[in-house]
Amino acid sequence: MTSFIRLCLVLLGICTLAACQKKDDATTAATGGDTVKIAFMGALTGDVAMYGKPTLEGMKMAAEEINAAGGVLGKKIEIIEADNRGDKQEGAALAQKFTSRDRVAAIVGDPTTGIAKVVAPIAQKAGVVMLSAGSTGPGVVEIGEYIFRNTLLDNVAIPALIDYFARDLGFRKVAMITSDNNDYSVGLSRTFSDAAKGRGIQIVADEKVKDGDKDFSAQVTNIKAKNPDVIFFSGYYTEGALIMKEARKQGMKVNMFGGDGISASTFLELGGSAVEGSVAYLGFSPEQTSGETAAFVENFKKRTGQVPEMFGAQGYDAVKLLADAMKRAGSTDPKLFRTALAQTKNFPGVSGTVTIRPNREPVKSPLCLLEVKGGKYVLKARVPVKLD
Amino acid sequence: MLIDPYIQQILISIGIGVILAQGLNIITGLTGQLSLGHAAFMSIGAFSGALLTIRTGLPLPLALLAGGVVPALAALAVGWPILRLSGDYLAICTLGFAEIVKVVFLNLELTNRAFGLTVPQPETTIPLPLLVLLAALGVTLFAQSVRSSRFGRALMAIRDDEIAAAAAGIDVASHKLQAFAVSAFLAGVGGCLYAHVLGYINPSDFGFLKSVDMLAMVVLGGLGSVPGALLGATILGAAPELLRFMATYRMLVYGAMLVALMVFRPNGLLGGINLVEFVMRRSGRPPRRTGGSP
Repeated sequence: MTSFIRLCLVLLGICTLAACQKKDDATTAATGGDTVKIAFMGALTGDVAMYGKPTLEGMKMAAEEINAAGGVLGKKIEIIEADNRGDKQEGAALAQKFTSRDRVAAIVGDPTTGIAKVVAPIAQKAGVVMLSAGSTGPGVVEIGEYIFRNTLLDNVAIPALIDYFARDLGFRKVAMITSDNNDYSVGLSRTFSDAAKGRGIQIVADEKVKDGDKDFSAQVTNIKAKNPDVIFFSGYYTEGALIMKEARKQGMKVNMFGGDGISASTFLELGGSAVEGSVAYLGFSPEQTSGETAAFVENFKKRTGQVPEMFGAQGYDAVKLLADAMKRAGSTDPKLFRTALAQTKNFPGVSGTVTIRPNREPVKSPLCLLEVKGGKYVLKARVPVKLD
Repeated sequence: MLIDPYIQQILISIGIGVILAQGLNIITGLTGQLSLGHAAFMSIGAFSGALLTIRTGLPLPLALLAGGVVPALAALAVGWPILRLSGDYLAICTLGFAEIVKVVFLNLELTNRAFGLTVPQPETTIPLPLLVLLAALGVTLFAQSVRSSRFGRALMAIRDDEIAAAAAGIDVASHKLQAFAVSAFLAGVGGCLYAHVLGYINPSDFGFLKSVDMLAMVVLGGLGSVPGALLGATILGAAPELLRFMATYRMLVYGAMLVALMVFRPNGLLGGINLVEFVMRRSGRPPRRTGGSP
C-alpha cells in the first residue's frame, strides 16, 4: 500500500516535470516575428465537422488575400488551426493552448453554441478576442467584453421576415406551428409571436406538434378553419414536409415559411410536390451574388471544388472583420481592437452587411429567402434588415 | 502556477478521466458487471452539482459531495431491479437507463432543457487543476483500499464465480448493489468536476460515447487493476493532445493504437500484473507480502 502511494507520487512528479519542460520550449516558439495570429476553433473531424471545415477554408482565403495585399498594419496574418472534434474538453484545452502558447490575438469560433460557451470564459480571462462565426444560442456574448459573434440571429431575422410578409406579400393572417419538444422551435416561435405584435400581422392559429409525430390532420383541420395567408413552422424538415402533405390533402393552397430547420434535402424528398412554394430563410445564399460576394463564391469553388455555404462565408468574414477592426484601432492588441470591433458599422461582408451592436451581438443584412421550385431551393428574394 | 494553462487543462481532463475510470473499474473491473451507462451517473452528478452551485452558491467540495450522493441514490434505485440481470442483459439495461436520463434532462425545465446550464467558475482556496489532481489521487487511493479490503475481495469473488461466492456466504445482491452505488458516486463526482471546470454542460455531453470512453480507459489499463485504470485514463486523456502534431490523421493513429494494444495485451496494459511487486522484482528487491512496513 505505501509503495503504491509512492508510485502515485512519482507519477505525479513526472507529470509536473514533463509539463515544465514543455513550457520552456513553448516560450521560445511563441516569440515569433512580424505576424498576427488568429486561431481557428472548431471541428475538422466528427459530427460537426461540416461547420468547422468550411469556416477554416474561408478563414484561410481571407488571410491569404489580406497577406497578398500587404497584411494588416504591415503584419502578416497567420491562421493557427487545430481540430477539437466537437468535444468540449478538447475545446477548453485548445483555448488554453491558443491563448497561453500561441499567444493569438483572436480566436474565430467555435461555430456551435456549446463549445463557444466553454471557450469564451477562457478567452475572456486571457484577454483574447473571440469571434464565434455561427453560434446562435443564448448566453454567449454575455460572457464578457472580448466575446463577439457574427451570424444571422433569429431575433434579427424574424422582424425583417414579418415586415416582408406584411409589406411585400400582403399577408395578414399567419398560422403558427410549433414543435414543443424542440427547443429551437419553441424559441423561434416565441421570437415570432413577440415580433408579430405591432407589425400588422395577426397570428390566427397557434398549433403545437411534437418532433417525431406522424399524423397532423387535427392541427391542419384547425388551421384550415382559420383560413390563414401563410403557415409559419418553426420546427424541422421531417415534420414540416409531413404537415404540408396533410395541408395539400385537405385542399389548403397556402405555403409554409420557416427557418433553416426546413432547409434540408429530406424536406424536398419527403414533401415532394406538397412543399413546392415553401420558403426557408437563411443568412447566406451563393446565388445571384454581385461584387465581392460573387468573387468569393468563385474563389471558394476554385479552391475547394464546392459551392460555399453560410459557414465558409462567415469564416471569411470573421478574419476580414478582425483585420478591419485592427486597422481602425491601429493596433493588433486585443485590448485595443476589441473596442473598434464593437463599433463595426455596415461592414460589407460576403455573408451580408454586418453591424455590431453595443451588446456585441451582430445585425446582419440581408436575409435570403429560398423557395422550393421544381424540387430545388431557389433564391426568391434578399430581404434587407433594418437597424432599429 | 508553474505549469502553463494548456498543460493544466490537459491535467484536469486526465484527472477527471482517472476519477471516472476508477469509479467504473469498481463495478465493471472488480465486480464483473458490465455497465454501458455510466455517463448517466456522470450526468446526474454534473447537473445536481451544477444546480446546487447556481442556486445556492454552495462551496465546491460540498457541491462535489452532493454531486456524488445523488447519482449513488439513483444507482441504488435502478440497481435494485437491474442488477439481477447479468452479462449482455445488464449492459443493455444500463444503456437504456443512460438514454432515459439524457431524454429526461433534455426535457426538464429545471435543467434548462436542451439549452444546458452555465456554471459559474468556482471559488476555491487551492487552484482548480491541483484540486482535480488531488481528487484523482484520493480516488485512486480509495479504489486501491476498496480493492484490498474484505469488501473488495468479496466483489472479486462474485466476479470470478457468483455461485461459489454465494456458497461462501457472500450476499451477492447486496454486494453488487453497494459496488454499483460506490461506482455511481465516483462517476457523479467526476461529472460534477467536469461541469465546474468547463463552465457549461448540456445533456448531450453525456451520451453513449462518454460511457464507451470510460470503458476504454478501464479495459486499456486492465480490468480490475487500480493502477491500470490510472494508467488507462492518463494515456487516453493525454493521447488526443500528444498526437495533435499528426493533424488529420490524429484519430486514425489513436484508433490504431487502441487496436494494437488490445491485440498485444488483450487483458489490458496492467491486467494480471501486480505493479508494485513487478517494480520491486525488477529493482532487485524481493517481493513483499502486503501489510508489512517498509
